[in-house]
Amino acid sequence: MRGGVIAKALAVAVLLAFMGGTLTGCRPPAAEPEPQAEIKPEDRILRVDSDWPTYIDPAVGNDFSDSIALVNLYDTLVFPNFDGSVRPHLATDWEVSPDGRKYTFYLRQGVKFHNGDELTAEDVEFSMKRLLTIGEGFAYLFESVTDVKAVDKYTVEFTLKEPFGPFVRALVRLYILNKDQVLAHIKPGPYGEMGDYGKEWLLTNDAGSGPYKVKEMKMEEYLLAEKFDDWWGGWDKDAPFYLKLIATPDPVTIRTLMARREHELTSEMLPEENLKALDEMEGIDTAGYFDGVNLNIMLHTRKPPTDCIHFRRALAYCLDYETVATKIWPDAVQARGPVPHNLPGHNPNVYQFKQDLEKAMEELKKSKYYGQLEKYPVTLSWCAEVPLEEKLALLFQANAAEIGIKVEVTKKPFGAMIADAQSPETTPNASIIFVAPHYAEAGSMLKSRYHSSTCGSWEQCEWLQNEEIDSMIEEALRTLDEKKRFELYYKIQEKIVELCPTIWVLDRFEKRAYQAGYVYWPAAEEVKAGKAILPIMGYGQYAHDFRVYPEKRMELLKTK
Amino acid sequence: MGLGRFMVRRLALSLLVLAGLSILIFLIARVVPGDPARLALGPRAPEWAVQSLREEMNLDKPLHVQYYLWLRGLLRGDLGKSLLTRRPVMDDIKEFLPATCEIVLFSALVMAVGGILLGVLSASYPNSWFDNVVRVVAYLGIVTPSFVWAVIFVLIFGYIWPILPVIGRLEMTVEAPPVFTGFLLLDSLIFGKYEAFWDGLRHLILPSVALALGGMAQAARITRSSLMENMGKDYALAQVAYGIPWRVTLGKYLLKPSLIPTVSVMALDIAALFANAFLVELVFNYPGISGYGIRAMLNKDVNAISGVIMVMGVIFTGVNIIVDLVVAYLDPRVRLVGGSQSG
Amino acid sequence: MADSAKWRERLGRAWYKFSRNRLSVVGLVLVVGIILLALLAPVVVPYPEHAGAFVDYANANLPPSRTYLFGTDVFGRDIFSRTIFAFRGALIMAIGVLVTVVPLGSFLGLVAGYFKGTRLEAFIMRITDVFLALPPLILALAICAMLRPTLFNSMMAVCVSWWPWYTRLVYGMARSVRSEFYVLAAEVAGASKAHILFREILPNCMAPIFTKMALDVGWVILVGAGLSFVGLGEQPPTPALGTMVSDGAKYLPHLWWNSVFPAIAIMVMVLSFNLLGDGIRDMLAREEA
Repeated sequence: MRGGVIAKALAVAVLLAFMGGTLTGCRPPAAEPEPQAEIKPEDRILRVDSDWPTYIDPAVGNDFSDSIALVNLYDTLVFPNFDGSVRPHLATDWEVSPDGRKYTFYLRQGVKFHNGDELTAEDVEFSMKRLLTIGEGFAYLFESVTDVKAVDKYTVEFTLKEPFGPFVRALVRLYILNKDQVLAHIKPGPYGEMGDYGKEWLLTNDAGSGPYKVKEMKMEEYLLAEKFDDWWGGWDKDAPFYLKLIATPDPVTIRTLMARREHELTSEMLPEENLKALDEMEGIDTAGYFDGVNLNIMLHTRKPPTDCIHFRRALAYCLDYETVATKIWPDAVQARGPVPHNLPGHNPNVYQFKQDLEKAMEELKKSKYYGQLEKYPVTLSWCAEVPLEEKLALLFQANAAEIGIKVEVTKKPFGAMIADAQSPETTPNASIIFVAPHYAEAGSMLKSRYHSSTCGSWEQCEWLQNEEIDSMIEEALRTLDEKKRFELYYKIQEKIVELCPTIWVLDRFEKRAYQAGYVYWPAAEEVKAGKAILPIMGYGQYAHDFRVYPEKRMELLKTK
Repeated sequence: MGLGRFMVRRLALSLLVLAGLSILIFLIARVVPGDPARLALGPRAPEWAVQSLREEMNLDKPLHVQYYLWLRGLLRGDLGKSLLTRRPVMDDIKEFLPATCEIVLFSALVMAVGGILLGVLSASYPNSWFDNVVRVVAYLGIVTPSFVWAVIFVLIFGYIWPILPVIGRLEMTVEAPPVFTGFLLLDSLIFGKYEAFWDGLRHLILPSVALALGGMAQAARITRSSLMENMGKDYALAQVAYGIPWRVTLGKYLLKPSLIPTVSVMALDIAALFANAFLVELVFNYPGISGYGIRAMLNKDVNAISGVIMVMGVIFTGVNIIVDLVVAYLDPRVRLVGGSQSG
Repeated sequence: MADSAKWRERLGRAWYKFSRNRLSVVGLVLVVGIILLALLAPVVVPYPEHAGAFVDYANANLPPSRTYLFGTDVFGRDIFSRTIFAFRGALIMAIGVLVTVVPLGSFLGLVAGYFKGTRLEAFIMRITDVFLALPPLILALAICAMLRPTLFNSMMAVCVSWWPWYTRLVYGMARSVRSEFYVLAAEVAGASKAHILFREILPNCMAPIFTKMALDVGWVILVGAGLSFVGLGEQPPTPALGTMVSDGAKYLPHLWWNSVFPAIAIMVMVLSFNLLGDGIRDMLAREEA
């Protein structure tokens, strides 16, 4: 009699199992295209993961992932070459007044925005004004700009308060918006007659003229951009049709997606273990380059015990640099001073610390905290979004323990680190942070890292506040002549290294895994050809110059 | 007390609880150290812009005024702006909540059907090999956190035997239906996008099963023991003695009272589903409210945190009311006495 | 003399009831084993220094072997040693939470139950309801995220979300015991409120409290693991099981030992405490009857 129930239950179970079977097995998974299927435009896609949030408003975005989106959606007056110099882009030519305070740019004619409007000098004027008024994003690069004026339809003039040597190089961060389109989407807001300056609309839309245009922006998930057919620079037939920036999923997912050929280019933050595993897969390679980013252990110079220069030097002498550059980041090189070695203006002769426990002890003995080290532990934060930093944090902790210094390690989300950096009280003694230059010159790094005006930002957790260094940096940036300017950069670097406010750990080798089997990645090719390149933030992922070959992808899928 | 009055009392109590919860949440979210406005705009934004945002967020006002304004907004469905997405929190929640509900509903279904089925089967064959297997599996299910299941599933079905999708809600190649209810499965049925329905369903399987396993094991165990208890009672034995078929006895007389404890416990388990979804969604990169909530918490996104927790509280309270109703239906004693202990 | 014989007999009966289910005995053995391992960790573990500030990148990512039983992690640390040390944090968490929560929650429940019908009861119970209106993990996550991530803070966060369960439990019992004859008798005899609360009512609630406690150890450990899974718990280099699983999960499947062993450790820990808890429940439930 009980058998009836069991039978029924089993029947249900079988039915469920069968349904499960049809769900999983009988249908080919939609994601795997059938080998015979013809190539559709959406197959020519470049999928890249990057951290989130991505602010695609040119007056707001300024981090690495923002930059990847911005350089693809918007055009700039000049375009950075792989060697750090710039070439004409929207501007065909430009002039500088002898006093270095007036720049005149002549625009390319017939450039179309994504909505078909023509790009004119007025749009450039509007974009600069909008950036300066909103004051976020890269606005600080242009704080010396006092006026910008459209002289005629294709000529625009910038007036500077004082000369700013790297002005033209910095212009790779001025993204040109379509004035009329932005004005049409203004909502009430704090900017007077400009309302919210279109900020809300530009969160998920673009008003650019770049090679790609926003197709869909899904908050915290992805940005899907579509090729802009009328882009003035023209197109190769194999260039990606779509560019998709995906919020970084965990490494396991990335690995799975790469194995299924559903992801083309990984982020730069994958641990070596994962890169190695990816590299072993067929058709997947890893490639990278020194991207001008360096890794710092920023030491708080106003908070005991790191306010003592001897204590700081002791820390700088105890770190095992060799292990860092061979085991943790195998392709990186130890940094020499505050400016990455391939950034124009780097001083190759400044002092470089090496691990030397004797010297470390010597310095430590000179410190006023010697003999009471127990009372002064060093607080250290590392960024939760970059798992690799934990390896450095723990190595540093172990190294410091060897000379009797106690390091308290805390993992913090980047947001929390930014909050901590806002005041000297909450800034920890040591912060592990990667810093990228915003334009390809030493001055970018020196200003954002050591000038007093940047205290309180995550880019300067040192609280150096040294007037002499401030004026040296200002003077250098005012200098128009490149050679003279670089000489001044050299001096600043020497001076900073003397103060030892930072442990300069390494110059980053930005390494990613990509589908070499069916994707052509220009930066990787340059490196393979043996050239030293320096694609600054975002430009290594300039999708227009990539090539994607869906037929080869099919081949790879078939052989699986 | 009739069911109607019971309900009214229950609802009134819930409203009181939600009011208290709003104070609790407000307090939790406002003890954040640091300046949320400065955090939102970044270190280089000029002071006046930060100040205007502070005013916009009412951060410059005394705490009780802030609470009043926040509550007023809450009642109007305005939860303020998220610092992370820079959009109204309500929009974010509207976007992410249906996805999570879909997972939770689906796993509640898996949990209920699977749990009761296994419980009934093992009670029908007590101490058989089947019963023993279920017992061991149930124990494993209970003691294994859902995030561990999630990791295991990704490993097995995403990698070793890749038959199910392990990321997101829908494949890129599948055309999504227009957003109407926000529930992907429902929307795709409404608009006749069967491919999207199919694909969405496939995406649901792993996260929901990872979520459901713990509760399912629990439900199976409880159903079994309560069924066993009732089977030993005189009326059940009498029925068997009268020769009434077992499945009639089971289906008609035994199952209903035996399900009372199962349903009560399931209320807690559904709550646990929402909580554990916080961890599981992270593993599957599933665009639900939990992932959003965790990111908000880690980044101290004040408005988003309070919004998400408040919504969770409302849902949780709602689920409890529903469960009380079901229990009241199953168990007349509850209706009559008017007290329910399910939390 | 007679007293001790009686005690021995009662103990014997309790043990009989407890040990009738062999799984409870297994649970007891495992729990004792885990506690001993945790206490003696620095002695029994092959590489105690690996639980602290230690890295050895030359020996990183080694699969399980005789030298490294569970293999080494990406820092070159012995996962076996770290797992055993992680038991400590988990146990401290469970003990800390229960030691705080049980007296506090029970006291409030006792008071609310005794003063039933008063404003005090309504006040306590409505506050309890508010805290119960959120799943414990979510409340704990929210509180944790606001504080500095330490073991102590995550303990506090779990406490905040856990006490109402005891208030609820004790309240229910105190409410019914309150009108029992012997309580009324004590009141008439002029016994103090404290006497009635702690001497008359509380002893009658002890069995369910202990049962719940025994079962809760496992759940607290699970919630703790959940918190450390998202990084809101004990900070590295101090090992925490949840963190080990989530960090290790990044290296699946090729470095599987990073996450699989800590995951098993969580399962074993929770399982043993659950088995033990079941046994205690059986023991106390029948003792009462």
